[in-house]
Amino acid sequence: MSFVWRKRWFLMLLPLLLALTVWQIRVESDLNAFFTATDDEDSRLLSGLLQSGELSRRYLLVVEANADKPDDHTNMLANFSAQLVQGLAKLDGVEQVWPANQPPRDWIDAVTTYAPYHARLFSLNPAQDGVTLFDPLRLLAQAEGLKQALLSPQGGFVKTIAKQDPLLLSLNGFKGLQAQFAQQSPISAAGGAIILQSQPPALDSAAHQQLQSAIHATFDALNANAGGGFHLAMAGVPVFSVAAHSEISRDVTLVSVVSSVGVVLVFLLLFRSFIALHWIMMIQAAAFLVGTLATSLAFESVHSLTLALGASLIGICVDYPMHVMIHSAKHRHTPLAAVQLLWPSLFMGGLTTVVGYIALGLTGFPGFEQIAVFALFSIATSLALTRWVLPALLVNVSMQVAHLPGIAGWVAFCGRRRKLLLSVFAAAVVLSLLVLPQLRWMDDMQKLAMDMDFIKQQDQAVRAHFSSIEPGRFVLIQADDFETALQRSEAAERRLQQLKQAGVLSEYHGLFPWLVSQALQAENMQTYQQDITPQFRQAWLDALTAAGLSTEKLGTLLPASSQPLNPETVLASSVRHILSGQLLQGQQGVSFAIWLGDHDAVKLSEGLQGLAGTRYFSQKDQLDHLAAQYRDRSLRMLAIGIGIMALLIWLQQRNLRRMLLTLVPALAAVLFIFATWAVIGEEISFLHVIGLLLAISLCVDYGIFFMDNRGRDSNVTYHAIASSTLTTLASFGALGLGKTPTLPILALSVSLGVTVGFLLCPLLIPKTTK
Amino acid sequence: MKQWLFLLLLFAPILGFADDSKLTELLAHIRQTGPAQYQYQETRQLELATSPWQGQGIMLTDGNGSLVKLQLQPTRVIMAITNDSMIYWDPEQDQRHTMPIDYAGPAAAQILVFRSILQGRAEELQPNYNFVAEQHDKHWTLRLTPKAEHSDDQTAAIEISGDGDDQQRRIIIRQADGESTEYHIDKALPKQAEAYSIPQLLQEATGE
Repeated sequence: MSFVWRKRWFLMLLPLLLALTVWQIRVESDLNAFFTATDDEDSRLLSGLLQSGELSRRYLLVVEANADKPDDHTNMLANFSAQLVQGLAKLDGVEQVWPANQPPRDWIDAVTTYAPYHARLFSLNPAQDGVTLFDPLRLLAQAEGLKQALLSPQGGFVKTIAKQDPLLLSLNGFKGLQAQFAQQSPISAAGGAIILQSQPPALDSAAHQQLQSAIHATFDALNANAGGGFHLAMAGVPVFSVAAHSEISRDVTLVSVVSSVGVVLVFLLLFRSFIALHWIMMIQAAAFLVGTLATSLAFESVHSLTLALGASLIGICVDYPMHVMIHSAKHRHTPLAAVQLLWPSLFMGGLTTVVGYIALGLTGFPGFEQIAVFALFSIATSLALTRWVLPALLVNVSMQVAHLPGIAGWVAFCGRRRKLLLSVFAAAVVLSLLVLPQLRWMDDMQKLAMDMDFIKQQDQAVRAHFSSIEPGRFVLIQADDFETALQRSEAAERRLQQLKQAGVLSEYHGLFPWLVSQALQAENMQTYQQDITPQFRQAWLDALTAAGLSTEKLGTLLPASSQPLNPETVLASSVRHILSGQLLQGQQGVSFAIWLGDHDAVKLSEGLQGLAGTRYFSQKDQLDHLAAQYRDRSLRMLAIGIGIMALLIWLQQRNLRRMLLTLVPALAAVLFIFATWAVIGEEISFLHVIGLLLAISLCVDYGIFFMDNRGRDSNVTYHAIASSTLTTLASFGALGLGKTPTLPILALSVSLGVTVGFLLCPLLIPKTTK
Repeated sequence: MKQWLFLLLLFAPILGFADDSKLTELLAHIRQTGPAQYQYQETRQLELATSPWQGQGIMLTDGNGSLVKLQLQPTRVIMAITNDSMIYWDPEQDQRHTMPIDYAGPAAAQILVFRSILQGRAEELQPNYNFVAEQHDKHWTLRLTPKAEHSDDQTAAIEISGDGDDQQRRIIIRQADGESTEYHIDKALPKQAEAYSIPQLLQEATGE
């Protein structure tokens, strides 16, 4: 095809590509999708909890009177909070909202539905509790207590239950529920602490941003009416999610802009040609669009962090046309001749870079799978366009390349002082190997989390007004079927009761008595039938008479219901909503969570030992485990990546020495960087390793270009490599501006790697003659 | 001078409520404020009890809309409404509850009605009730019956009655489920009035 038609086709297809990409793309900002792997059971569980777990969707709100306002605002707090509860309940995206010191009304209504099953669910330990519950000597006090309850503000509720369950046995199991609401801070007791259950998944930051704005607007409107005497604080996973989303959006914009501007400035500094810049940027735009489109097709959506890191690929993809342009300008070749000359090196360089990115994608870090696909298609597109379209675009462009000071001097210095420098290099290698064992590995993935100290402090301050239940740590119950899972859950709750008495944990939220296994129901029923003797019945009648209560309406202690309480029936009612945070979805078999209050993790884990299908689960531990898993995989991938690159170079060169020489600057750079980190005590995460893997894949390109030296002029080749290094530094350096810790770590690793690798090339690879 | 409904019932001669204008006049009179203390005797007919339950104690109101019902017999129990919160404290059963009135639901319904009566907040009752006044000689009765559209299970019928020349009045609250509460109320004795104050009782009830 003629150059004219190549150019026409390119110019016609580029807008189509843009339109197709815009039509196809769906940008994802869910951090979970990027950071959490879902390739094993626990990871899927963690991912699901972060995504849509009940507690993850919960907002904790605290309304307080302003310190500078008169006391009457403190007194008005309950009323104000009640109005706020009513206002918030009407908002879109709100599932339910209630004061923290009161159970939601549907919970209370749900409790009354258990009365007919009282004989089947009064205790987790029926044989043991039956001794007390069915002690005839207690009945007088029990009848008096019932009378007082009927006279109390809860009289209507108690009456409904007492008619079906005169001994109020069904309430025995719900004592824990009452205790949940009894532990209150002064603000909570005054009604200032509010719980809002939202509908959108916790990490749907767009929906939550909207909801948070609506919450603030509702509060502001009420507060204005109340004279502005109150302030609102908010906590919960969605608050972090929205803040993180905002930071990531900022990072994506900043990195993309600075990276692009940096590459443009380097290009203009080198070539001083806006026409050439215009064509090169169009090639890069095409490469970026193809990468985005391919990622979008391969995955359901493209993560915004993929786009940010993808933008840094511009600095790599631009290398290929730049090499051609530098050789073309320096040697007065046509772009076509230059690209034909350099093509084997360009192809091999691109291939090794792709290998690096594919290895990155295989580290298990889900976000990097996207980046690997993005890189594969972007690099392939850039290479192809450089080979077949660039000569057509540059056909009438006059090219001159600026001289970079110091390049020739460094090459000459390495040539003159090779022996001395190699001795220094050898000593450095030995020293580096000696200090490598001091490397410190990062074992806390929280250190990779975004720095959100203000929100964390606010979160802690708000949570102090609520129950101490932690959203991230719980007892996980797993079984093949529902009945077994319930039995295991009940066994775990019995153990937790003991641990609570021993002071190992402050509280827990289990499934009993909302859901009760058939086995426990049978056990309860047996105890009930045994203990409700004729003597007991008579004692109850006497107690009722003494308390002035109706023996006619309360005296009949019915036999246990012949129909068991079935989980299907329970979960078809509003109880499903109450337990939705504890019935874990998406697992094989059945999984339940028992939520925990303050606890000693070690003692709790030990305390649960020996219980089948039961274990302590900590989101943080799981994340840390994932971090270690990623680190091991990234190290493995580093080794495999280097191996594959070596193989590819050997296949091209068919010479072991040349292959080793090509690789050695990159490997030495990585060794020195690891050693430096070991000496300065930097904690190494899998991200550091991944950054170095990328650095190797880029440095190997330099080795290939320098070794091939197809222009037969090391200075020109090194000049081209220097240009590549500058664009890589400009693009990856921009990542260092990001607040998401992932980005600066990658920026540091890649920038250090390519700089050291670049400087080592003329030292370690013998200069070839013109 | 304006009067409280309660004071009106106690001291004003009841000439009759034969027509709406009289009723309107009466309701206009009840828009009053000011602190007051009363002693009461309470008789409750519970559906599940064989005999009526009886209690007695003191009621205190103030101009801010607070109402504290201090039950002294048979056991000490405080139930109060203040700043649109309901507070309940039963030291013997160790039961303490504080909740916004709007959230308290049926638990607060009776004491809310009581406050409306004692503090003359007729406008709070008018949306839900039809008012009927009767008089036979010196004995008068004001009946508040739930309007048809509000006659759900939670809405109680109320009857307030008294004689023109004595200070004792009777209030009966009949729940839709058949339970009823009858109060006999008269002004607290000076000694009783001095012994209790709303802030002190609220403090005890909230446990602060």
